[in-house]
This record gives sequence, C-alpha cells and structure tokens, in this order.
Amino acid sequence: MRSLFAPIARRALLVAAIALSLPLLAAQQAAAATPAEAFVSANVERGLNILNNNSLPTEQKRVQFERFLLSLTDMHRIAMFTLGQYRRGAPEGDLEAFASAFQNYAVAVYQSYFARYAGQTLQVTGSTNVGPQDDVVKTILVDPHDKSGQQPLEVDFRVKSDTGRPQVVDFSVGGIWLGQEERDQFTAFLGQNNGDIHTLISHLGDLARQFKTAQQQPQH
Amino acid sequence: MSGWRKIAAVAALALGLGACATPTPEMKAANDPVEPFNRKMFRLNQKIDKYVVFPSIGGYLLLPEFPRNRIHDLLANLSLPITFANDVLQGEPKRAGQTFARFTVNTTIGLGGLFDPATAFHMPDHDEDFGLTLGVWGVPEGAYLVLPLLGPDPPRDIVGQAADIYLDPTHWLHYKQHIWWDLSRSYVALIDERAVSYPLLLGIERNSVDAYATRRSLYRQQRAHAILNGRPDLGNLPDF
Repeated sequence: MRSLFAPIARRALLVAAIALSLPLLAAQQAAAATPAEAFVSANVERGLNILNNNSLPTEQKRVQFERFLLSLTDMHRIAMFTLGQYRRGAPEGDLEAFASAFQNYAVAVYQSYFARYAGQTLQVTGSTNVGPQDDVVKTILVDPHDKSGQQPLEVDFRVKSDTGRPQVVDFSVGGIWLGQEERDQFTAFLGQNNGDIHTLISHLGDLARQFKTAQQQPQH
Repeated sequence: MSGWRKIAAVAALALGLGACATPTPEMKAANDPVEPFNRKMFRLNQKIDKYVVFPSIGGYLLLPEFPRNRIHDLLANLSLPITFANDVLQGEPKRAGQTFARFTVNTTIGLGGLFDPATAFHMPDHDEDFGLTLGVWGVPEGAYLVLPLLGPDPPRDIVGQAADIYLDPTHWLHYKQHIWWDLSRSYVALIDERAVSYPLLLGIERNSVDAYATRRSLYRQQRAHAILNGRPDLGNLPDF
C-alpha cells in the first residue's frame, strides 16, 4: 500500500539515488553470452579495478574513473537525447556547447557518489535485443555486506553498437531510466525558460561546480 | 475517504480551478496541464516537509534503532492485507501467495508483525495498491496532479487510495476512536517513511536541474514499472 503521505515509495527513492551513482559501482564478471553482455561485463570489471585500486591517489583515481566513464558511455548522444524537442532547430554551436556542459555535469554528479557505492557488485544475468544493434543488458546489484535478505536491485544497461563500437546510452535501476529522467527535467527547465539552451548550459555549469566543490571538502 | 483527505482534495480542486490557465504545448506534451498549480503545490509540500515533517523525523530518529524497526515492521505488516487483495484483483496468484505467506509468518512467528522473519525465510516483499491494480487493468494515469500534503497524485491514484481504505481490514473495525487510529497510523507511517526518504529526496533535489520535473519523472517511471509486476517492458524504449 502506498503510504497516504508518501508520493514515492522508499524503494523508488533508494533506486533513484543509486541510479545517479550507478556508473561508479563495482562489478562482477559473469559468463557473457552476447557481445553486448561481454561489453558490459568487461567494462564494469575495468571500473572495479579502478575503484578497488587503493594504491592510486584520490585525484588520480578520479581522473582514471572519468576516462573510464567517458569511454563506456556515448555522452554526446545522451546529451542530444536529453534536449528532447529543443534539439530541433537549435544552432549547431549551442548544441556542442550543451554537449560539453552536459558531460561536465554528468561526470561531476557521478563522481560525487564515488565512495558511497564502491564495493557493491553488478552481475550480468542476460540481455534482450530491442532493435538493430540495440540491446538491453540485465544485471543485478549485489551488496556483499547486506544481510537483510532483500532481493537485489535490477540494473539494466542499454547498449547501442551502430556507431561501430558498443556504447552505453542509458541505464535503469529498478525500472527508472536515468536518460529519460534527465530529458524530463531538462525539457521542463527549458519550458520554464523560453527554450533558452544558454540558460540550461549556465545552470549545468553551476551545478557541476557545486559538486566539485563538495568533493574537495573533507569527507566525514 | 477520511476527513482531512477530503479537505485536502477539495482545497486542491479549488486552487486548481483558479490555476486553470490555458496549458502551453509543453504542458500538454508532459501530460501536466495544470503545471503552474502543481509547481505551487510542490513548493508548498517542500515547506511542509522542511518545517513540519523534518522536525518530527528528528524526534523519531532519537529512538533507538530496535523500536524504530519494530514500528516499521508493524506498519508494513498492517498493509499486507491490502497488498494481498490487490494481488488477487490483478490475477497474480503467485504474488498473492507470497503476500499471504508473509502475513501469516510475520503475524504469528513475528509476534503480530512486530518482527519480519518472513524476509529471513526468503519470502520476498512487494507493495501493491489499487492505483496499480487500475493500471494493470489498463486504466490510464490521467493528467499529472500534485496535492497539498499528499504529493504526486494523478486521478488514477486518487481513486486507488480511496479504494484501498475499503480494502484495509482495520477500516471495518468499528469503535469510537477510529479516526484517531487512522490519523495516528498515517502520521507514524509518514514519519517512518520520511526518516529514510527525506535525506534521499534532498539529495535528489539538490542534484537536479528541475526538482519538480525530477519528482514527476521518478513518480511516473516508478509507477509504470510497478504496474508490470516484474515483467520486462522493453518495447516502449525511446529512440536515441
């Protein structure tokens, strides 16, 4: 039953918080049956190695993980998707400026959750082909220290290979797709600001700076 | 529907009628024709959270973890008959069986629901409500709506919440203090819920470009996913 007051179930909120941090999670490699599964499995293994490498200084680890994140995902494509209907007719220069601001923002957001979810694991459980060179790879999120007996969260990666190499374009945690959520908020923001992409770029820059400042402060 | 819920609904409708300016194409595209009103209610609910709910959570968190977990388990167990009824109405015999087993185990071995041995026995938990049942039956969500106190509440879920009151066995127990039981249970459930969700909500809102749109998207995606009852829905993915 929904709590009378609670608009979003507790699990959904946990899911949303985890969704924002998902690319930072470690992973376990499972037997991969398809190229898309192999891609996800192998790359999350790379992420695992970076996160668990305690000999790396924090800043170096951050830089390495940023590189890893950018190689795993098609940030430009995701950025264009999140603009929704506002992409049409926008000057090319504005779109490129937005793509750059989006990448900066996305990396900063993901990094802000860096330490919180390190140590959890992702296990590839299968995949579904949803179109030409378009697969959804299914994984489960396992916390090895969780004794609650709760079912592991389902985490899906959408992998497209039509650019010559597989890249993640979206992922979902417990059914919430992050790319769709970002598109919903960006288009709503643009709707509130007369469709002005420059305002959105500026706002993304402010948010990214906030995240970076927070990361530089000592952790308690 | 209890008294305060009626008041909230009527107040929302009255305020909503006042806010019924012609929806823009963006509002129509987002199926949110009363977005200006909804944003006002969203900000109002943020203030209620900040000045009313959050101080209550502070008091609740002063309790040791053990009694807090007992309160949480008891509330969760009380909601299982509603989940069971909706499992049945959705034609989900396996999930209904799981819910029935959880309720039986937690009510007996779990001392009336104060403890949750069912989870340790690998009986998975899930939530259901009549709004989700209507979704399973194919009833559309309707236009997005945010109500004071209640938060996101599109028409399908308003109807669902009203129906769930009648699916709750405690509703049919008649005694003089019934209204106080209802209010106390709702309030404690709110505090128990928000003790976990409030910091997460703040984090999500702080990280958002548009906190209102984020909550709307999360609510819709979460409800749409819950209607599937664990089945994949990969046919409606957007084109990247």
